[in-house]
This record gives sequence, structure tokens and C-alpha cells, in this order.
Amino acid sequence: MATETADDNSLYPLALLMDELKHDDIANRVEAMKKLDTISVALGPVRTREELIPFLVEVAQDDEDEVFAVLSEELGKFVPYVGGPEYATILLPPLNILASTEETLVREKAVDSLNQIAEQLSQEQLFHDFIPLIQHLADADWFSSKVSACGLFKAVIVRVKDDSLRKELLSLYLQLIQDDTPMVRRTAAKNLPLLIDLLTQNLDLSTNEDWDYISSMFQKIINDNQDSVKFLTVNTLISILQFFNAKKDYSHTQDLLESSKKLIGDEAWRVRYMAADRFDDLASQFEGHDVYIGELVQPFLTLCEDNESDVRKAIAKQLPGFASLVKDPSVVSNKILPAAQSLSMDESEIVRASLAVTVTNLVSLMTKEEAIDHLLPILLNMLKDEFPEVRLNIIANLKVVNDVIGVDLLSESLLPAITELAKDVNWRVRMAIIEYVPILAQQLGVQFFDQQLSDLCLSWLWDTVYSIREAAVNNLKKLTEIFGSDWCREEIISKLLKFDSQLLENFVYRFTLLAALTTLVSVVDKKVIAEDILPFVSRLADDSVPNIRFNTAKSYAKIVERLSQDSNYSGLIKHTILPSLEKLRQDEDFDVKYFANQSLEKCNITLWMRN
Amino acid sequence: MDMDLDVPMHDAIEDQQLGPTLDEDRETNSADNSAGSTNAGNVGQTPGSLEIDEVEDLHDPDFKPGSSGIADQKSAKPLELTNSTIDQLDKWIEYLSKCQVLSEEEVARLCKMAVDVLQFEENVQPINVPVTICGDVHGQFHDLIELFKIGGPCPDTNYLFMGDYVDRGYYSVETVSLLVAMKVRYPRRITILRGNHESRQITQVYGFYDECLRKYGSATVWKMFTDLFDYFPITALVDNKIFCLHGGLSPMVETVDQVRELNRIQEVPHEGPMCDLLWSDPDDRGGWGISPRGAGFTFGQDISEQFNHTNDLSLIARAHQLVMEGYAWSHQQNVVTIFSAPNYCYRCGNQAAIMEVDENHNRQFLQYEPSVRPGEPTVSRKTPDYFL
Repeated sequence: MATETADDNSLYPLALLMDELKHDDIANRVEAMKKLDTISVALGPVRTREELIPFLVEVAQDDEDEVFAVLSEELGKFVPYVGGPEYATILLPPLNILASTEETLVREKAVDSLNQIAEQLSQEQLFHDFIPLIQHLADADWFSSKVSACGLFKAVIVRVKDDSLRKELLSLYLQLIQDDTPMVRRTAAKNLPLLIDLLTQNLDLSTNEDWDYISSMFQKIINDNQDSVKFLTVNTLISILQFFNAKKDYSHTQDLLESSKKLIGDEAWRVRYMAADRFDDLASQFEGHDVYIGELVQPFLTLCEDNESDVRKAIAKQLPGFASLVKDPSVVSNKILPAAQSLSMDESEIVRASLAVTVTNLVSLMTKEEAIDHLLPILLNMLKDEFPEVRLNIIANLKVVNDVIGVDLLSESLLPAITELAKDVNWRVRMAIIEYVPILAQQLGVQFFDQQLSDLCLSWLWDTVYSIREAAVNNLKKLTEIFGSDWCREEIISKLLKFDSQLLENFVYRFTLLAALTTLVSVVDKKVIAEDILPFVSRLADDSVPNIRFNTAKSYAKIVERLSQDSNYSGLIKHTILPSLEKLRQDEDFDVKYFANQSLEKCNITLWMRN
Repeated sequence: MDMDLDVPMHDAIEDQQLGPTLDEDRETNSADNSAGSTNAGNVGQTPGSLEIDEVEDLHDPDFKPGSSGIADQKSAKPLELTNSTIDQLDKWIEYLSKCQVLSEEEVARLCKMAVDVLQFEENVQPINVPVTICGDVHGQFHDLIELFKIGGPCPDTNYLFMGDYVDRGYYSVETVSLLVAMKVRYPRRITILRGNHESRQITQVYGFYDECLRKYGSATVWKMFTDLFDYFPITALVDNKIFCLHGGLSPMVETVDQVRELNRIQEVPHEGPMCDLLWSDPDDRGGWGISPRGAGFTFGQDISEQFNHTNDLSLIARAHQLVMEGYAWSHQQNVVTIFSAPNYCYRCGNQAAIMEVDENHNRQFLQYEPSVRPGEPTVSRKTPDYFL
């Protein structure tokens, strides 16, 4: 309309948003909400504060959770749109409402946004607006607000320099730690280690009175009647130990050790699982106190024999880490090694696979003789495990063992294990072992490799599954990167070229040979390319199968890319490769023509760049 | 016909899918339900019984064959790929390989190009060895990707697919889009035959129609693809020795030349030679039999031997039936069934297979299991992280 003023026009974005937010279809409302930042930029900071935010406060009370979730997230980014930090507190009321909703997802996003905003608030704004918000949420009747309150303390706890106010906050937190509803207690217990870590980072801030509160909180959760709260004590305990270790205050260490033992021996398996899963972190807090470490040996062994396989799985991974903390070698050989022994024969394959990931690290704690007498039998046995993952994990981590005892003693068991995995009916197991071969080659050295593994590596080229053949080709490239071009020429290329007379009959084999030699082009010397690889590729340029012909065209481009670096080969390129590509360009098959053209273009660009 | 007549039809699908035999390929009506007879109780199972819906559908201008317009400006000669179309197709193939759908407008462009490739193919499309022959895929996109991992990527490996790309699985749109894009990009490297599911009527019952509606919000893409299906070749002949088709033989087809004379550019008919080629099954009983499917026939070893002898063939390769090992010989190696959808319908527990035929006509079957699907756990038991 002609009479419309500029002012009316500028109302348009808000009106549009309002319309979209009233749309019947929830997907439209969610989409509209995602564009909130665009709207606020269009409105400018003043009108965002005066019109949009009040409108959003209304929306935040009357829509679906999906819309709330987006709104909660968007508001976290809103500080610049309302005019910067000095106006940021205007965002707190709508987030206050969203942090009190029943839907967990919405609350979590609102809490994240509130924490983001808090970082940008001044001390004054924290005292005046943010802390009262926390108090308001924590004092609410309904559990959802209190759960949200638990997540907000981390934003303020170390920014409060006033001791009495901090004490007040901790007293409020203690109240949440012993709330009636387990949901609130669980969230409070989960956030407690974060608060303690913040105090550790600001070591001189907290007072003895603060720690009286934290100690009470710890006592509450360790004695909680809900497993799902109690098992969170493990993390809290580690954080507390870290604080006192940082303070070099060891007066509580004995008590905290008793608490550790209590958790490790808890009757609830979830608590024991948590203790087992974090055992290294926990035990390492007592490092330097040999007596205390000694007191943890028996609890550790008990976890290794736990009834629950999940607990054993968790502790199996911690075994070498804990063993390294134990300074007494007789304990390692008389107690910990037998535990490893029995875990290596555990009835659950998940436990055995978990042990296999780290058990080889034990070798660094013992002499060569000990390793041969006690550790090697365990490893050899695990290499014969019926579960492929156990074998794979051992093989993947053999390097440390090899460094100490040498490969000869292992090879007798290692090779059958590899050979068997290499023949597994599941092609993904075969794939996994191929991917380990370069690591093994590096560990075992060229001599061992040539004697024991090179035939195996070549045999994968003739696998029935394409992906295995492809992996076998890439494996040859990686091996060449390790052992060098001369090795590749003697051990790989000469064997490949000998193969071809028997295998030329089959298109799949010719294709694989071509792929292998083409892939090696990038890692062998130019002389090898010109003398060995190029003649083979050129022969295949006349192949009866078009798929082979267009792959020779692709191969030529790679060869030219390398050979053109050396002017000695310019004649070869000019008189052999380019004419052959020209001929392929006249091929009757469309795809051969196309790829020959592509390669010619690439060759011309390469040659032009060199000149 | 109005769309609301679809409602009872959809009920029929659900009933059937929950039933003990979820596969229409195995589902048998009582033997006296002969081909062509209509049976209200079996709506959705046989083309015969679909006749009512089909007739009414095709009277609705929206459901008329050709209404998508993809074939309105057919070229008089086969599509010639320019560098820019090749780039476009390579991008689409890359995109589709990640299980993402093309836009409606891109599907329209793809289908128009595909018409100009497929209309020039023959009813009996000649194919050279080496080639890898595959059976039903049925919208199991991730298993199609697994198939390429086993057999090798196109164009390095030549492929022949024997129909049934859509329905049943959750990714019919992605599956058929990818195969058609590959066909247009590499027409000499991949051949895609028509299966009984490449049809307007069947796709309305077994999922492809609903999937298009869900993924595009309208039936436009479904119309384009079903119009395109009319142009798919119905059989292929590998080096004059292996006759490949989706279903099986027809009592009205004694020679391969007779197939060449058919007019295939149409919706799959309810009876007659073209219908039989897409619907028939081999059987242990000799001679011709009434098919329990209500379309096509069953044929015995005598029929296969005679057909192979008359046409100097070594083998009939077909798909169409679930086989637990992924492939199955019948009629003393005169017929092979290949099925390339592992754990069909995500619950049958079958292996899948493809057949590699090398340039010396040696055959090798490659079997495979369902792919490891993204997001699915690979370990048997979860650690108790869920209550952390």
C-alpha cells in the first residue's frame, strides 16, 4: 500500500516471525525459531530487547518441546544481538522459564546457554542477576528447576571472591546433594567433580570452611541409597585427591584411601564397575605412598575376580598401569601376573579382548628373562584365542614386546595366528589383519618379513573379494615406503611379473596386477618404472577387455607424472606412452576413449608445467 | 480413481507384511486362484487382482503412463555424453553413493537422459564377458554398496542387474537413482533389466510409492521413475550363451528372437509373454504349471532344457526368488537363481550372492552378508555407559 510508512515496513520481520510461530505445522515453527538470529539482526539491538525478547518470553511458555529446544539453544548466542554484555541479563528471564521445563533436552540446552551468557557477565551482573537466578531455581518446588540449578554453579563458583557468598553457594549445593529426588542428587553428584576441579585450578581460593561443605557432600553421596548416585562418587573422590595432592596436603590421604577401598568393594556392581574403569586414575593419586599403593593390591585382585564380566573387562585394561605404580617387583610377578594369566583365560571374550589391548605393556616392567618366563606364555596363548579380536589386539600392540625380547621367540606363535586371521571367512577380519601388516613389518624388520610374510602379502592380491585385493595393493605401497624401492623391485615387482604368465588368462588378475603396479609408481625409483612397470602396462594397452584398456590409460597418466620429472625419460614418454595413449583415444569403446582423452590432457598439462 | 481408494490397499500390505510369509515372491494363494482371476481377498498380491485399481488409476490423468513428461522430447539417437553432463553425472553418483537423494528437478533431468539411453537398448540386450550378474536389491542401499565392495566399483567391473531395485527396503529412491545414474554415465559398463517390481501397480503396494511421497512430498518422482521403467530392457544375452532375465520362461516364447519382437515400452501387462518373462519361476514339476503368484507360470526342467537347446544357450540366469545361500541351481544347472539382497527385508537371515563370469566363461559365485550399518553397534553387549 502506498500509504505504508517506513516504520511499518520495519515491523515486517517480527510480524513474519510471529506468523510463522503460530503456524499449525510444528516443523514450520521449529524452522522459524532457527532463523531467530536473522530476525534480531534485522530488528537491531533496541527493538530486539524491547519487542522480540518479551515476545519470546511469551512463546517460551506456550509451545512444543521441539520449539523450546531450538529457542534454548539460540538464546545462548544472543548476547551480541541485544547490544552486548551490558544488556545480557535481559536474556535470563526466558531462559529461566526454559530451564524449568520438564523436557530434559530443553533444560540441558537452556543450562548450556545460561553458562555461555554467564561468561560474559560482569561481577555486578553475576551478584545482582545470575546468582539470584540460581537460588531461585534451586529453591523451586519441582525437581526440573533444581536439576538445572545444579548445572549453573560451575559458572560462578570461582568468580565469587567473597568467602561468605561462596560459602552460601556451597551450602545451597549441599542442599541439592541431599535432595529428596534422585534425579536432583544424581545431577548434583555429576557436577561436583567439575566444581572441585575449578577449585584445584584456583588453588588458594577455597577456605577450610568450603572444604567442610565439600566433605559433607562427599559423605552424602558415598552413602546414598541409590546406586546411580553412589557410583558418581568415584569421580568426585579422584577430584578431591587431585586437589589435596596439588596443595601437597596429605593429612586426608589415609581417609580417602579407606573411601577408595569402600567403593572398590561396594556391593553394587555398577559402583565396582566405575571404580574398576577409573582404577589407574584413582590409584595414581596415591603414587609415592608405597604403603597406600600396597594396600590397593588386594582390592585390585578382587576386582580381577569379580563376578560381573563388565567389571573384569574394565579392570583388565588397567592392569599394566596399576602394575607400574607397584614398586615391588615380587608383587608384580607373584600377584599381578597371575591375575593377568587368569584374565587371559576368562570365560568372556570381551574381557580377553580388553586385556589384549594393554597387556603387552607389562613387558616394560620386567627383565628380559622374566618376560620370557612369565609374560610370553600368556601372549602366545592369547595369539591362539578363538575370538579374532583378541588376536588382533595382541598383534596390534606387539611392538613393545618385540623391543624387549626380540621377535624370534614370538614368531613361532605369531605366524600361525596371522595366517589363520588372514584366511578368516569374514572378509572384514582379513581386512583388519592386512591393515596391521605395515605396523608388523616395521616392528619385525625386513629379514623376518621376507622369510615369513611376503608370500602372504602377495596371496591377498588374488582374494575373491575386491576390497581385499584393493587393500592388498595399498599394503604393497606402504611396505615399499618402509623397505624402499630396491626391496620392492626384488621382492615384489619381480614376483608379480613372474605371476603374470600363468594368470594372464583371467581378467580379474590382470586388473589387479595393473592396479598394483600403478599404485607402486608413486613410491619406486623412476628406473624401476621405466624398466619394469611401463613394459607391462604397455602390453595391457591392447587387452581384449575394455576395462583393462581404460585403466592402462589412467596408469599412463601416473607414470608420466613421475617420469617427466627426469629429462632422461622424455624420449620414452614421447615415443612410447603418448603414441599408445593416442591409439587408445581412437578405441572403439566410449569409456576407453574418454579416459585416454583425460590422461592425455593430464600428460600435456604435466609436460607443459615441466618445460 | 480417487486417492482414498488406496486406503484398503495399504491395509492389505500391512496385513501381509505382518503375516508369516512376508515375501510376495514366496506367497502362494491356493492353487485354484489361477492367473488373471480377481480375488478381492488378495488385493495387492497379484497383478490380476490389482486390475480394478490399475484400470481406475490409469484413468486418473495423474496416474497415466507418461504423465511425468520425462519422455515428451525423446531424442532420435542415443544420448551423447558431453564433458559437462559427465561432470554432472559424476557429481550425482558421488552424492548418491553417500545415500543422499537428488532433488526432484535433478531426478527429472536424470530420467530424461536415461530415456535417451534406454529406449535404444534392445529387448534382448547383448552383453560381453567379463560381467558380474546380480539379482534383486529391493531398496537395501547399504547392501548395494557392500555388493560393490565385494565385486569392485563400476566402471572397473561390468555389471548386469536383473531387476527389482525398488520396494521392501528403506532406500528404494537412493538405490534406483544411483543405478540409473551409473547407467547413464557408463551405459556400456552396466545393464539394468526390468523386474516385476519396476511397475506402477506393484510399487504402489510394496513401498516405493510411499517412500517417494515421504521423501519428496509428492508423487512426481514416483511418476518419473515408473515412466522410466517402461524403457528398461527386459532380458539380456551374455555372449550369446547366458540368457538373463528377472522371472523366467513363457509358454508363448520358444526362441530368443520372439522376445526381440515384443513391444516392451509399456506398463508390465497382466498376462502374455512380457508378463511371464518378469514373473515366472522354475519348478521341480515338469512342463508348464499355474503360478501360485497369480502371474507368469512355473516351468519344469524339460522346458528349460528345450529352450537352451533351441537357442544354443548354456544357462538361464534369473532372480525373483529368495534363496538362502544367495544363489541356487535348478534343472540340473540349466537355470541359476541369483538373489543380491542379504537378510532380505532386514529379517530373512539369507546370504546374498553375485555371479562373476570371466572372459573364458568361467563362473564364480561370491556370497556376502549384510553390510555393517552406520550407527548400529558392532559389539554384542553394551557397557553400562547408558546410566552415566
